[in-house]
Amino acid sequence: MDNMLIEHMMNPRNYGVLEDSNSEGIGKNPHNGEKVIVFLKVKDDIIEDISFQAIGCMTTVLAGSLITTEAKESSLDRAEELVSATLGMLDRIPPEEAACSEMVALALQASIDTYKERQKDKNFPMITYKIAQTCVPQNDGVVNE
Amino acid sequence: MNKILIAIHEIWLETLMAAFMSKEQASKQKLFDFSDIFFRHFTWVENGLIKQNINYDYNRNTIPIKVDNLQIIIGDIIRRLNTLELSLVDCEDKALSQRIETDIKYMKFTLSQIDDEKVSSFDMGRVLDGIPLSEEATDALTLFLFEESYKEYELIMIYNYLKAHSSEQNLIRIFQILIDESFYHLKQFGQMMSDMGILGVPRIIAKELYQVENITQFLENGINEELNAKEECKKLSDAVASENATLSKFFDFINYQENYHIELMKEALSQYKKETNV
Repeated sequence: MDNMLIEHMMNPRNYGVLEDSNSEGIGKNPHNGEKVIVFLKVKDDIIEDISFQAIGCMTTVLAGSLITTEAKESSLDRAEELVSATLGMLDRIPPEEAACSEMVALALQASIDTYKERQKDKNFPMITYKIAQTCVPQNDGVVNE
Repeated sequence: MNKILIAIHEIWLETLMAAFMSKEQASKQKLFDFSDIFFRHFTWVENGLIKQNINYDYNRNTIPIKVDNLQIIIGDIIRRLNTLELSLVDCEDKALSQRIETDIKYMKFTLSQIDDEKVSSFDMGRVLDGIPLSEEATDALTLFLFEESYKEYELIMIYNYLKAHSSEQNLIRIFQILIDESFYHLKQFGQMMSDMGILGVPRIIAKELYQVENITQFLENGINEELNAKEECKKLSDAVASENATLSKFFDFINYQENYHIELMKEALSQYKKETNV
């Protein structure tokens, strides 16, 4: 475990509710009720501010801290690339870590999609995406929902 | 009064963190005692909010604690206490604000007398009691401490909320014991984190965790979580057993303590089920 990761665990970045957000999205693990909410404050398609809150384990918080740090002050396009890159590497990491990272990435995607929908309908409700990975052992070996 | 609740919540946690940082026993004890008093202030203010039927939550700001010297964090606690004193002017319960103010005056005086110390709680040395563990055991212990210190804080807040909204004496007794137990665990884990140079404030708790809609479901899940926690303690005890017997015994002790929690939660569950005829 390197010091950079420990530093993020000691002091998770961008954690908590963003009071002046204009979009929110949830990534949810349907197997165990864990979830992540990502708050965005977007202006001119740039993420001016971002925060997240998790009901989950430390690995989820770590993933949230790393991903939101990367997404902060980036364009929505860049943030979507970050989501794709995260989802693309899930099969190369242990299942429990994959589930946590997927949950954060999907929460970010949900928040971006909510923002886009709210450009058409300002009362559009917050979007929730469910993860396909699971960190809960499955008896039948099925991991996708 | 909501602002006062948030301010006291933050002061309580910052003072607790300062206690972990101090290596001088007399200073450490004062800081632990004061943090306990701040927590009680928190419950007084919370009770006031409930009586006045004011909506509130346990949201707060993140608390920066990374310092090189104890004086810096103590200075920040005193600064927060000064701000709190000003906010108390707006508190509707004048008798309560007066009681808190007299505490604050003494605490500020006492805090200002505490000697400075170098702080090593953030050096990431990750060695406990001078006994190096293998990399695997150190990583397992690190992750365990981050997970469980947050979990204990979460449990304190959940049980405190349930207690604050209970009127049945036996349930209040059960929740108070569970709060006390979680405080003991939080203090043990927090001290270990500070000694290992990885101290961090537990993260903010999500509202839906303590504003429990289905208490029987919460207690049933809680009993399962305690059983899992026993397993985690056992795994950790086994992982460090060959390298540090004292640490192994400590985690066995924590493991056996979970039996009390399970028993108390079963008792609370049975009472809730009886009350709701489930």
